[in-house]
Amino acid sequence: MKLRPLNVRARLTLWYLAVLAAALLIYGASTSLFLVFQLRNQLDHRAIEDLETIKGLLSFTSDGKLLFHSNYQDQSYPTKMLDPLIEVLAPDGTLLYRNELLGTRSLGGSLQPGDTSGSYTMRSIRLSDGMLVRLVSRQYILEGRPRLIRLGLSEESLWQRFREVIVGLLLGLPIVLVFAGVGGYFLARHALSPIGRMARRVHEINAERLNARLDIEHPHDELGFLGSAFNETLARLERSFEQLRRFTADASHELRTPLTAIRSVGEVGLQKSGAAEDYREVIASMLEESARLTRLVDSLLTIARADSGQIQLEKTTVPLVPLVRDVTSLLDVLAEEKGQKVSVAGDDTIQVQGDGAILRQVLTNLLDNAIKYSYSGSHISLRVSRFGDEAVAIEVEDDGPGIPPEHRDKVFDRFYRIDKGRSRDTGGAGLGLAIAKWGAEAHGGHLRLFCPNGTGCTFRLILPQSRATDGQHSSATMTPPSESAQQHTSVATLKASSPIN
Amino acid sequence: MELTKTVSGVTLRSQLRILLVEDERKVAKALQDGLEAESYSIAVAHTGEEGFLRVTSEPFDLAVLDVMLPGRSGIEMLSAMRSQGIKIPVLLLTAKDTLADRVLGLDAGADDYLVKPFAFPELSARIRALLRRGRSESISALQVDDLRMDLVGHTVTRGARRLELTAKEFELLEYLLRHQGHVVSREMLARDVWKVAGRYSPLDNVIDVHMGRLRRKVDNGLSRKLIQTVRGVGFVIKSGTSQ
Repeated sequence: MKLRPLNVRARLTLWYLAVLAAALLIYGASTSLFLVFQLRNQLDHRAIEDLETIKGLLSFTSDGKLLFHSNYQDQSYPTKMLDPLIEVLAPDGTLLYRNELLGTRSLGGSLQPGDTSGSYTMRSIRLSDGMLVRLVSRQYILEGRPRLIRLGLSEESLWQRFREVIVGLLLGLPIVLVFAGVGGYFLARHALSPIGRMARRVHEINAERLNARLDIEHPHDELGFLGSAFNETLARLERSFEQLRRFTADASHELRTPLTAIRSVGEVGLQKSGAAEDYREVIASMLEESARLTRLVDSLLTIARADSGQIQLEKTTVPLVPLVRDVTSLLDVLAEEKGQKVSVAGDDTIQVQGDGAILRQVLTNLLDNAIKYSYSGSHISLRVSRFGDEAVAIEVEDDGPGIPPEHRDKVFDRFYRIDKGRSRDTGGAGLGLAIAKWGAEAHGGHLRLFCPNGTGCTFRLILPQSRATDGQHSSATMTPPSESAQQHTSVATLKASSPIN
Repeated sequence: MELTKTVSGVTLRSQLRILLVEDERKVAKALQDGLEAESYSIAVAHTGEEGFLRVTSEPFDLAVLDVMLPGRSGIEMLSAMRSQGIKIPVLLLTAKDTLADRVLGLDAGADDYLVKPFAFPELSARIRALLRRGRSESISALQVDDLRMDLVGHTVTRGARRLELTAKEFELLEYLLRHQGHVVSREMLARDVWKVAGRYSPLDNVIDVHMGRLRRKVDNGLSRKLIQTVRGVGFVIKSGTSQ
């Protein structure tokens, strides 16, 4: 049979009881041992006193026979309840005297090595009938002859006391433990009750009620920390849910636009019975919209994959100036059409560890953006330079109308267009800069916008040089647009140092 | 039925048979019509089981398999085909374009891979390429009408007039000429001429600009236009029609 796992307060109580029982047992054992030690000490003291007394009561007859003064019992000697067992031996071990109490039992048997030393020797022995005795012996010179006197006092009463104490302790232990257990259980329940309340509160929180927070009674204790950690998680969750909601709304709007076009063009086309050429026109228009839809879905897919960290960076050494020249020569015709000049400047030796395809995409989006929004005949310049000791900067500066301050924070947001009415043919879906920003952050860098004097803007892409050399493969997560770039860098770096495969 | 058709300068005898396994009936019908218009003989199956039955009992020159099929998937069907020793070229169609899916498909023995939604000209070009595979082709010149491209001397002439083309324009024209009579999509141009993957780039505008310039050089001032835009689909170069 398998035991059901207990709840925390029961487990706490059980552990508490186990520890308490162990502590009490150790305490009881040491107390009893100390008691035995003390009692035996007292016994030894008395035995020595008795020995001295008895020595004074011994005398020899003229023929050398040992005489024990029988009025011993009448002495003022404090008899108490213990009667001593006495044995007197000659140095050769011959028994000279044995008192009545001892009878035929031997007290300590033959001579022991220390017996003749002239000082007190103590030992515990067991008599032939099983009686436990504390034995003290000493060799005296009685009337010129050495005589070994042994005196024994029964240890029975000592062990009796010991047993009583043990029994007392053992009887008391369960009672103490029962009280302690009940007390401990209630204490644990009380201490844990905020967790129960927190759990119930958390149960009430769902996707629709993410604004709810836990009430924290004591912010500085352990449960307070738990509660605030949970509240912070909720706050982050709420933010990302909000972003997701906005993203979904924007995405469906963007998807609906070409769908509406396809539908209405098709419907209108069917209504008029025209020539083949007219139908050709209708179909072509629908195909254009479906191409736009396809591109949009591709972009959304890229973003979704980046968001869930599924895009693996394939890092190689990327020389930046050649990459910038490549991108420039690709898009140069677009600038030419608008009479714009694109210039590239920078140190040819600068290189980073990065995913060439993603960096190319980032630069393509930035340059395309610059060409699109700059005046005809203006100048766009791209510069590659070192940025501090451990980073490089790629700047794309345009000669455009600039970006009004109120839009500057939002240009990196998905689907954000400054000119809402701008046709999607020229304006795109508003994902280019969002993807560029993601690409920068996936490399542990960031993308910033500077509009110094209101006319013309500079996008500065910062890429770290040293960190990126850590791993060949890394995955990166598209980070939410509203948080600071600093946080993004750490997220991306964290991911970069732990390859997922 | 014996039929002779010129496909990109290669002469094919007898009609080629293609097995198309696609569960989406609308798509299957469109592809069937489109491929039949290019003079292939098409057999359509709507499930993996049906497709497998046909491919093991009839001779085909090529199979186009949708990966997401009810029942047996395209990849399972492909593995079964390969283990039966059926070696015809196979083109997989799928809605997924992650690397893992691609590797899975190619491991199972696919010869090529096309991600939905694809442009029909792209499918048609891939099929032509697969059917042409293995036949060495060394052409020194490409020609349509009076436009002639000398691949060895790297010169292009329209009639008697020599055209001055940039490197990119030359590549673009060569690609069009190699697919003459067939529409090429912008995706095909982006991938094969510009070598850029991904369709979300601003490359479409770049392609349009280059195409506009090329067209001016090839067709300007002449009544017979060779390069034509097929709106919503792409571009085609073919024997001129007066406009």
